[in-house]
Amino acid sequence: MLHLLEYWAARLALFGVDLLPPAAASRWAGWLGSLWWTADRPRRRVAISNILRAGVAGDPAEARAIGRAATRHMGTVLVESLKSALVLDDPDRVRVRIPDDVQAVLEDPDQGLIVVSGHFGNWELAGQWLSRYKPVAGISRPMNNPRVQELALSRRPRHGFRMIPKYDPDPGRFIKLLGDGEILALLVDQHARQGLDVPFFGHPAKTHTTAAMLHLVTRAPMCFATCRRAAPMTFDLTLSPLIERQRSGDRSADVEAILLALNGLLEEAIRRDPDQYLWGHRRWR
Amino acid sequence: MDGEGTAGMLDRLRDVLRDNAVEERDWDAVAPETTIESLGFDSLTILDVLYDVEEEFGIALEPKQVVKTRTVGEIVGLLQQHGA
Repeated sequence: MLHLLEYWAARLALFGVDLLPPAAASRWAGWLGSLWWTADRPRRRVAISNILRAGVAGDPAEARAIGRAATRHMGTVLVESLKSALVLDDPDRVRVRIPDDVQAVLEDPDQGLIVVSGHFGNWELAGQWLSRYKPVAGISRPMNNPRVQELALSRRPRHGFRMIPKYDPDPGRFIKLLGDGEILALLVDQHARQGLDVPFFGHPAKTHTTAAMLHLVTRAPMCFATCRRAAPMTFDLTLSPLIERQRSGDRSADVEAILLALNGLLEEAIRRDPDQYLWGHRRWR
Repeated sequence: MDGEGTAGMLDRLRDVLRDNAVEERDWDAVAPETTIESLGFDSLTILDVLYDVEEEFGIALEPKQVVKTRTVGEIVGLLQQHGA
């Protein structure tokens, strides 16, 4: 029953998004985000606690302000992802910085690329934009509500971008994708029950090791991406230079070194724009 | 798959598989014809296995070739091709 209610609420929200012009839809989604911030007390507490622990706010009042702005931001991210066709081909809407070494990989059809990011800015738009070079597969955990999941997938602009489930009977499919010269996009900032403890804002956080292991095993190049929201429907997409790690024979040390680098890059982006990060996730457990 | 070299290689491969096991099973019963799919590895643990196989045998495998293998015996064959 709850799933059905969520599904119709999502349909209603999408109806509003479709009806309004982009700027108004974006404002509407921001307002929905504010409402969510007010209504979802448990999530709000997690967000404030995370912001304070990360040290990006000096006191609880500032943490609340950042948390509210970040929740508004997530609302706009949803709308801007749904209306991404309006910005993807406009160089004034997506300003891109790609280092030469990454550019060379993107232009080589035989070369796979691991692109890592976090729930910062508009991460999905980054994947969609990069799909102009080669197919992009974004790894995602299935939503708890299969009806909403189906709805979300049906609304995502395709281009060369697709979502693939995190769990699948074929254990070698990530390796195959990279071998076929595709981009594999991963978000590494969710709590990973079986992950490695790696400092995130100075505090140990269980971190997914998949990206690091894929790099070490397939030797596919890897970079970190951020897609910062600079203004309504305007973004700065920045890719880091290639992150390379030679295997030392000590798997844990190799993985930890890579994850430290990735977490560091994500922290850097969040410190610059803390109101563009998904703080409501229980990252430290 | 004849010869002591192959048998010894299979033993070492079994050890790597056992070290990365995600489910209980009789690893001594793993034979050349055992399918990789039946061993219960997922997309993350298979990476651990590949890392450890390369470290154990001191070779660098071509990942695209590895994912084409269907059985344990085919992996041993691949290791032999790479001079392990």
